[in-house]
Amino acid sequence: MRMFMKSKKLLKIKILIILILTFLSFKNTAVSSSFSEEQTVNITKNLRCLICQGQTIHESNSDFAESMKKYIKSELENGKTNDEVFSSLIEKYGQWIVYDPGISRNTLLLWALPLLLFLIGGVIIAKKIFRKI
Amino acid sequence: MIISQLGYYSLIFGLLTSIFIFFNSSIQLKKNNPIISDKITGLIGFQFFFVFISFISLIYSFIISDFSNETVYNNSHTTKPLFYKITGTWGNHEGSLLLWLLVLSGVLLGFIFKSRNEPTNYRLLTTLLHQIIVIGFFVFVLKTSNPFNEIFPVQQEGLGLNPILQDPALGIHPPILYLGYVGTSIIFSAALASMISNYLNKSWAKNIKFWILFSWIFLTGGILLGSVWAYYELGWGGFWFWDPVENVSLMPWLSLTALLHCIVTLEKRELFKKWTIVLCIITFTLSMVGTFLVRSGILNSVHTFANDPSRGIYILTFLLVLVLLSFVIFMIYENKNFTQESGIFTLSKETAILINNWFILYFLSVVLIGTIYPIFLDVILDEQISVGPPFYNKLILPFLIPFVLFMSIGPSMKWIKTNFKIKAKSFLVIIFTLILSFFTVYFVGEKNIFILLLFIGFFYLLLKSLDQLREKTKNFAQIFSHTGFSLLLISILLNSFSSKEIIKNIQVGESFTLKNEKIIFKKIAIEKEKNYESIVGFFEILDDKNRIINLQPEIRIYNEPETATSEASIKTTLFKDRFITINIIKDQNFFNVRYQHKPFMIWIWISTLIIMLGGMFAIFRKNKEVNI
Repeated sequence: MRMFMKSKKLLKIKILIILILTFLSFKNTAVSSSFSEEQTVNITKNLRCLICQGQTIHESNSDFAESMKKYIKSELENGKTNDEVFSSLIEKYGQWIVYDPGISRNTLLLWALPLLLFLIGGVIIAKKIFRKI
Repeated sequence: MIISQLGYYSLIFGLLTSIFIFFNSSIQLKKNNPIISDKITGLIGFQFFFVFISFISLIYSFIISDFSNETVYNNSHTTKPLFYKITGTWGNHEGSLLLWLLVLSGVLLGFIFKSRNEPTNYRLLTTLLHQIIVIGFFVFVLKTSNPFNEIFPVQQEGLGLNPILQDPALGIHPPILYLGYVGTSIIFSAALASMISNYLNKSWAKNIKFWILFSWIFLTGGILLGSVWAYYELGWGGFWFWDPVENVSLMPWLSLTALLHCIVTLEKRELFKKWTIVLCIITFTLSMVGTFLVRSGILNSVHTFANDPSRGIYILTFLLVLVLLSFVIFMIYENKNFTQESGIFTLSKETAILINNWFILYFLSVVLIGTIYPIFLDVILDEQISVGPPFYNKLILPFLIPFVLFMSIGPSMKWIKTNFKIKAKSFLVIIFTLILSFFTVYFVGEKNIFILLLFIGFFYLLLKSLDQLREKTKNFAQIFSHTGFSLLLISILLNSFSSKEIIKNIQVGESFTLKNEKIIFKKIAIEKEKNYESIVGFFEILDDKNRIINLQPEIRIYNEPETATSEASIKTTLFKDRFITINIIKDQNFFNVRYQHKPFMIWIWISTLIIMLGGMFAIFRKNKEVNI
């Protein structure tokens, strides 16, 4: 009976893990439209206005932001993809300009640490829940 | 001038009282007196009184525009309305630290009054430990941030207050936020004292819960005010940007929320003692980290008034001392307090609360790492990165789904063991959830399985929370805050997916359309106020049923200091906000007009108020014994 209970609990945990992994595997699949207007907004919403305080280029009305908007629009009209625009901007202004830190050598820990802590927490809790008297 | 002096000496007296209380309470602790002498209670009263006098003097100096005071000179101006002269008191580094000190000494006074029926040595120890924090802040204020510095020769006119801080919501935002933020200090002192005095039990939990709820409610309110302000003042229609300064207020909120659930378990079942103490320490540490990050000038934002490294170093050192102290106390008294908590946890409320804490602490770690990682990367590798909304969305959103599912079923579990019976009713809730979610996703037009799952989770939480209203023993505190939380998530999600926006450069007389609405730029007028001039744009919106809505966004040009701000004009209805801002384009007749539809905006504020209401229920329910 005990064994049975235990395997049942294990099964539940397995289901839980599978569920979590499934959720994790979802990605935001934003479909980029062909309109350069909307595409420009998508890009500028993800860029820091370098001369403002904590604003995106999309939100800002500063000269810098306005000229960036024009530049990005013209780049898109010249047939560049979102990724190409981003990488050219990063090359010019550094990673600081993009709000999405992306995964690179420098940011690996940034992404991994919280997930690692989540797993460690999970192990501690599992131990507590399934500890024998 | 004389008032400034009064404020300054009042602070010195306050510090002396602190030292006096510190020694007096340690002597009394040794004597093992059965009751706290009136002397100590009186001294704590005096301490608060001195800080209060000092605070009032500063407010007075602001009201009369006493420009011999450096703080007033730097942050005020004679043409400012009275309300902003007063709120200007805490709209700067020195004044806001004085407010810190005021709340810090105030919560101790409150604690001494509220804890009359608790063990004397515990109350004395709390006083003693709290004084360490109080003395630390007194020295900090007097040494690095004295609000009563004099300047000579006396200036005729002040430099003025940053115009974007001249706003009613932001005027009261700091006091409310600080009550929550600094309120956590008494939780910290009391938690350590309860360990030392061997009082870590059910009745401690029951009493300290008041202070946890107190901090939690005010912190929620403070964050709400900040968001409301960001929404209408910053002019782009957002209310949360994962800005470091927003994050540092969210972090103690998260750990307080975890603590709130833990303390109930301690109260009912005497479980999770060690973890509760750790959470108390974490919560206050996060408040201090927040103070450090904001005050040291490390962060680049509106909240950073000063850029003085000595202040940052002081807070950091002081923080390290406090953490070390709590660590040492924790280690010494660990064995005395914590017995092995035995028992296999099964399907029970305890397990549900553990899982709640697991997820909340994960969210906390995401926010913490996202906030401080860039600082470390900058210092160590000299590389600058931005950690913005995409990072938080990716790491938090997927985890929200299992979190809200546990949150939905948690409250219906029983302590120790739950016998789950699946009833037909449960299926009804699930069916309703699915119908609502599909309908919403269809309505929003985002055909994405991930968003569907989010809606299913949120609606399930909403329906399960409301479902509890049918039970015999209702726990309004929990029902309200969980319902509020689910409504908050639903409205944020709806808001972010169905917001619409159009930006046009137009002249007076021209018009444009968004969806089925026509936006007409009628005219422009110039108005003169006491401390600013404004250019007001008159707009008429013709909605799909041809009703007219008038909106009047402004561009304000403040005189002192000379700054232009853009004031949004917002028309709120139950289902959507209409939000319009204008900006001048240099050397042209055109205006840059930004018109937005922000759906369910009002529900974001209402649901946060419902969450706070839940907290208030918990405070006033005290005497009735109800299961959480």
